[in-house]
Amino acid sequence: MTSLNDLLNVPGASVDLDDDFDTVNEYFLERGWGDGLPLIPPTEARIEAMLAWCDRPWEIPIGRMAPRYGEATPLRLAVNAVMAGCQPRYFPLIMLAIEALCEKTFNRYSIQVTTHPCAPLLVFNGPIARELGINSGGNALGPGVKANATIGRAIRLALLNIGGGIPGLGDMATVGSPAKYSYCIAENEAKNPWEPLHVERGFPIDATTVTVIGAECPHNVNDGESQTGEGIMKTIAGTMATTGPNDVYYPRQQPLLILGPEHANTIARTGYSKADAKRFLQQHAWLPLGKFSNENIERLFKVTFKERYANAGPDAPAYAVQNAEDIMIIVAGGIGKHSVYLPTFGGSTCPVTLPLKRRDGQLASTIEEFHLG
Amino acid sequence: MSELRKRGISTAVVCSTPFMTLGRTQARTFGVPDLPLIEIPHPFGCLNNDEVRQRAEGILPQLMQLIKERIQ
Repeated sequence: MTSLNDLLNVPGASVDLDDDFDTVNEYFLERGWGDGLPLIPPTEARIEAMLAWCDRPWEIPIGRMAPRYGEATPLRLAVNAVMAGCQPRYFPLIMLAIEALCEKTFNRYSIQVTTHPCAPLLVFNGPIARELGINSGGNALGPGVKANATIGRAIRLALLNIGGGIPGLGDMATVGSPAKYSYCIAENEAKNPWEPLHVERGFPIDATTVTVIGAECPHNVNDGESQTGEGIMKTIAGTMATTGPNDVYYPRQQPLLILGPEHANTIARTGYSKADAKRFLQQHAWLPLGKFSNENIERLFKVTFKERYANAGPDAPAYAVQNAEDIMIIVAGGIGKHSVYLPTFGGSTCPVTLPLKRRDGQLASTIEEFHLG
Repeated sequence: MSELRKRGISTAVVCSTPFMTLGRTQARTFGVPDLPLIEIPHPFGCLNNDEVRQRAEGILPQLMQLIKERIQ
């Protein structure tokens, strides 16, 4: 393997600066390298410590990141992970997430450049997510936990610095989203009364996986009164069925519902499997076509769903999601009668799930095993 | 579009003004820095059909010029 010193000595690969926090930050932020927040200076020693957790050649791209189609090499990713403040042992999950983002079906280009405020949400499952302390409990999408904050930020810095998703140049978002600073969560599998997301998507329970989803910010669902699954899901269905999300205009979409543990427990206790819950939500999450403007009805609904709405009146149902199985459900969060719903970029993106494997192709069950494997 | 351009077929991308920089950088990324971009005013969403036709007519001279250059 080429040494780090050799890689950094390639012309243009590195810059010589005083090892001073303010000097480095001034230099980087002046050039638009970063997310606007202070960056940890990516010194050779810090990069080397990050790359100690890399099982691939440091200079061979894992993928190309749009819209610049910059090469996401482990070396470049390590620089961004350092700047984000990651612990080195997070690095295998960062490389895995980048690999997932570069899968064709995720639609890396459009997710980056669109005027829509979507951002790749990372959902982690499995033993290594727990081992690394990725928050799946109270405030799972909030601040305060290093793993969530810095893994999500490392991905964003890579999207900016390698992908070129720079606001106004390669990211044309109209208003944007706070989820573009960091968007990372683990599923609370211990509080999930059903099968967790990665098992539902075909992986063993002891696999560690990342699922990337091109999602909007979460919209809260407060229901502290309903005592049955039907009651809670009726409230959730109402939150899902609104006039603005991209999803409602597409024939296929895969939005994410993050059920708080208390809501999930009530729904399961009422007798609903996860598939049953999805069916209930799909059937009840609709609003009358007349809630949409005439132009949207004529130019979108009657074009996308030509046969269904050709002669439809204002009371015809417009569904938030067309197919029950396309509603993704995870359980996360702590105490409280809240869940959140995340619409997506719409029909041109598909969530992608990848497992963390060792060099020998077997699933890694601990981060140390991945490191040594 | 870049693939068509590389095959020698007359091509152009229509961009509204705020997307011109992205269009130019994407053309370079895909190895066709000379890919013609036809600029139209922003916004073009929310237009009625007559207004869309007017926008299209407005860029016809640019389009015709491109085709002429290609033929020569």
